[in-house]
Amino acid sequence: MRVLMVTWEFPPLITGGLALACYGMVKELLKKGIEIDLILPTRDLVYFPLRKVEDADDPPVKFLENVEKKEREVNRISEVIKKFEVLGLVPSPEAYLSPAGVMREMLKELEEKVSLKKFFEVLSWSLERGEDLFRKVYEMAGRMPLYAEKLSFDLVHVHDWLTYPAGVVLKEITRKPLIAHIHATEFDRAGGSGDGRIHEIEYTGLSSADLVIAVSEFTARMIADRYLVPFSKIRVVHNAHSIEFPGGKRRIFVDPVILFLGRITLQKGPDYFLKVSERILKDFPEVHFVVAGTGDMFRKIVHLSAGMKLRTGVLFTGFLERKKVEKLLEAADILIMPSVSEPFGIVPLEAMAYGVVPIISKKSGVAEIVNNAYKVEFWDIDRMVEIVRFLLSDRKKLEDLAYKMKEEAMGIQWSRAAGKLINIYQELV
Amino acid sequence: MLHVIFYFQVHQPYRLRNFNVFDVGGKGDYFNNVLNREIIERVSQKSYLPTNNLLLKLIEKYEGRFRISFSVTGTLVEQLGLYSPETLKSFMELAKTGCVEFMGETYYHSLAFLFGKEEFIFQVRKHRKMVEELFGFSPVVFRNTELIYQDEIADIAEEEGFRVVLAEGAEKVLGHRSPLYPYKTYNGRLFLLLKYYRLSDDIAFRFSDRGWIEYPLTVDKFVNWIDKLPLIEKEGRDLFLNLFMDYETFGEHQWEESGIFRFLEKLPEELLVRDFISFAWPSDVIEIVKYEPERISFPQPVSWADMERDLSAWLANEMQQNATVTLYEILEKVHAMGADDLMESIRKLTTSDHVYYMSTKYFQDGDVHKYFSPYGTPEEAYIYFLNALSDVREKLRRREIHEI
Repeated sequence: MRVLMVTWEFPPLITGGLALACYGMVKELLKKGIEIDLILPTRDLVYFPLRKVEDADDPPVKFLENVEKKEREVNRISEVIKKFEVLGLVPSPEAYLSPAGVMREMLKELEEKVSLKKFFEVLSWSLERGEDLFRKVYEMAGRMPLYAEKLSFDLVHVHDWLTYPAGVVLKEITRKPLIAHIHATEFDRAGGSGDGRIHEIEYTGLSSADLVIAVSEFTARMIADRYLVPFSKIRVVHNAHSIEFPGGKRRIFVDPVILFLGRITLQKGPDYFLKVSERILKDFPEVHFVVAGTGDMFRKIVHLSAGMKLRTGVLFTGFLERKKVEKLLEAADILIMPSVSEPFGIVPLEAMAYGVVPIISKKSGVAEIVNNAYKVEFWDIDRMVEIVRFLLSDRKKLEDLAYKMKEEAMGIQWSRAAGKLINIYQELV
Repeated sequence: MLHVIFYFQVHQPYRLRNFNVFDVGGKGDYFNNVLNREIIERVSQKSYLPTNNLLLKLIEKYEGRFRISFSVTGTLVEQLGLYSPETLKSFMELAKTGCVEFMGETYYHSLAFLFGKEEFIFQVRKHRKMVEELFGFSPVVFRNTELIYQDEIADIAEEEGFRVVLAEGAEKVLGHRSPLYPYKTYNGRLFLLLKYYRLSDDIAFRFSDRGWIEYPLTVDKFVNWIDKLPLIEKEGRDLFLNLFMDYETFGEHQWEESGIFRFLEKLPEELLVRDFISFAWPSDVIEIVKYEPERISFPQPVSWADMERDLSAWLANEMQQNATVTLYEILEKVHAMGADDLMESIRKLTTSDHVYYMSTKYFQDGDVHKYFSPYGTPEEAYIYFLNALSDVREKLRRREIHEI
C-alpha cells in the first residue's frame, strides 16, 4: 500500500508535537511495509519517497520535474538539516514560498471544477491581503495538481489545517480516499474563539475527509461538538513517543528540578506553573523551576516570574533544540503540564521515559492513556502544590516513582499506533 | 574666575556570555571573552589611544595650564591589561605628566552603596589601592557609580579620606541655584561639585546629532556660551564649570568623522586666551574657595542617567529588582561561607551595566540602553545574569551538602 502524506513539519525541523508525531508514525508504518510519499512545504517541487525504515531519518529527495543533476546533488548531502535547507525548508511554518502567480492561476482553474467555492474564497481573500502563512497554505494547495499527475498512491493522509487545503485538492482531482489527521484544533491553540479563517479550513477539511483520525477522545469530542463531524467517521489513534534508549539521570543541580516544557502560550498554562513555583519555593527554597520553550507569552512570563521575587528559583532556557530537550529531561525530576487544552501532549510521555514524574492537565489527550501520571485540573493550583510537596518531602518515593514512570512509558511506543493506522487505511482501500 | 573642570569616566564591564541553564555547575566562567576583547580593542583604537595622545599633546603644549581628571574603573584596567596593554601604558603616561587627577570610585563600577555598605567600602578601597599603585595618585575626590549620590555617601566618603564629592546638577535638587557654584555636602564637611549637564551633554550626546537645532557644534559657538556664564556672579566669586562625561564620547560615541577630536583640540586654545578662564581639577576647589559655600542636601539618590536622573535606569522593573536583590544576597553568602574562589566572579557581576541592560524604558532613553547592550532583549540579559547567579548558588550549595 502506498500513502501520499502531506504535513507541515518533519524532523529534524521541529517546532512542536506535530513533527514528532509524524516521524514516529512514519517510521513504524515503514517498518510494517507501508510505502509513503511525503510532501513538505518545500520551495522546490519535490517529494520524499520513503520506502525503508532508515528513510525516516534521512529522507531521499525526488524532484517532480526531470532535474537529475540537482537531485543527485541534494541526495548527496549527508546532513538532513542541510538537505532541508537546500530545499528551502526552515524551522517555522513561515517557510513556504513559491511564485504566487502561477499557483493562483492554477487554483482559479481548480475552483471552477470543484464544489468548495467558499473554502477557496477564504483562502484567496487571505492571499490578496498578503498574509504569509495563509498565502503559503494556498500555494501548497495550488501545486497539488502537479503532484497528482506524477505520483501514484492509494490514499491521501494529511495533518492539521495547514495541509487540509492540499488534501481537499488531491481528493477532488484523484478521487482517492482522504484521511484528515487532527493533532490540534484552532480552539485548542487560541484558547478562545480563534481565527475564523482557520475554523473554516478545519471544518471543510474534516467534512471532506473520508475518515478523520483524532489524537485523543478529547479531540474526537471537540471536533464532534464544534465541527459536527459524525462519530462514525472519527477514529482515535493516540500518539506515542519515539525514545528507544533513554539515558540515566544526569543532574545539573543537586536539588530537584521541576520543569515546564512547551510553547509559552496561553494554551499551555505557563502562568499556572509560576503560581505553583511561588508557593513551593516558600517551603522548598532549594528547588529549581525551569521554564523551557518560547512563545508569545514569553516576555510576560519572564516579567511575572521576576516580580514574584523568587531569586534564582525560576530559570529560563529559551527555545531548545531536540538534543537539549533530552538533556533537560535527564536533569529533571518533575514535569508540570498545566495545559488549558491539550489535544494530546507527547512531552509527558517523553518525560516519563526519562524517569520524570509528570503532573498533567486532565484536559489533555495523554491523560487518557497513562496510569501513573498525576492528573489535575489545570486551574487547581492547590492540588498541584499538594502533589509537588508530597513528592519533594519523600525523595525515596520520588525515585521509586521515576522507575514506574519509565516502565509505563516504554510500553507506549509507536508500533501499536501504527497498527491501528494500517487498519484504518484498510477500511478505505 | 571661571574654572573649567573636565572629568572623564573611563569604564568597560565584563559582558556576560549567553550563559544557559546547561552551563550551571560547570567549569566555564560567565563572560564573553571574545566580545570583551573585541570591544576593548575597538574602543582602544577608536577612542582611548587617540584621545590619550591628543590630551598628552595638549598638556605638553600648555605647560600645566591644561588640567583634566579621570575616573578609571578596575574592570577596565584589568581588561586593558589583558587585551590592550599599550592603552594601559598610555594612561600611565598621562598620569606622569602631573596634569591629570584621578578620582576614587568602586573598583567594579557597582551599585554596592545601595545594597551592601561593607561591600561598598571594600570596593572603594580596592579601587584606591589600584589607583595608587598604577597611577601613583592618591585620590581625594570621590564619584560614585553613574554619579549616583545621596547624603549618606558623604559620610562614608569622608571616612575613606575623600574631601570632594561629585554629583549631578539636577534641577530637582538645585531648584533656582546654579551648578556653577561650589557647594558643601549636607553636613558641611565635604565640597560638592555638580555636573553642568546641559553643556556636558551637548558634547557627549548631541555633538553629532543632525536633528539638534544647534548642529553643528563649533568651538566658537561653545565658547560663546561659556563666555556668558560668569555674568550670573556679581561679587567676583569663583565659578566651576563641571563638564563630566564618558571618555568614550571621543571617537566611540561621537565618531572621529564628526569632528569631535578637532573640537577637543581647539577648545583649550580658545578658552585659555581668556584671562577669566582656567582649567582646574575637582580637588582644586579646596584651595580656590575662600568662603563657606552653601550646603545642599540630597535626601534621595540622584544619578546622571536618563531623563529622570534617578535610579530607574538600573532598578525600575521587576527583572532588575530581582536580579539585584538576589546578587547581593548571594554575594553575602559567598562572603559568609568564605568561598573566596567565587568572590571575584560574583564581584564582576556587581558591575551596574548588567542591570542597565535589563532596562525596559522606552522612548529616547530606551534607545540609549539598547545602544550599549550586547543582548537582543532586556529579558535575555536577565536570563543569562540569573543563570550565572544560579551557578554561584549551586556551587555554594554543593559545598554546603559536602560539609554536612
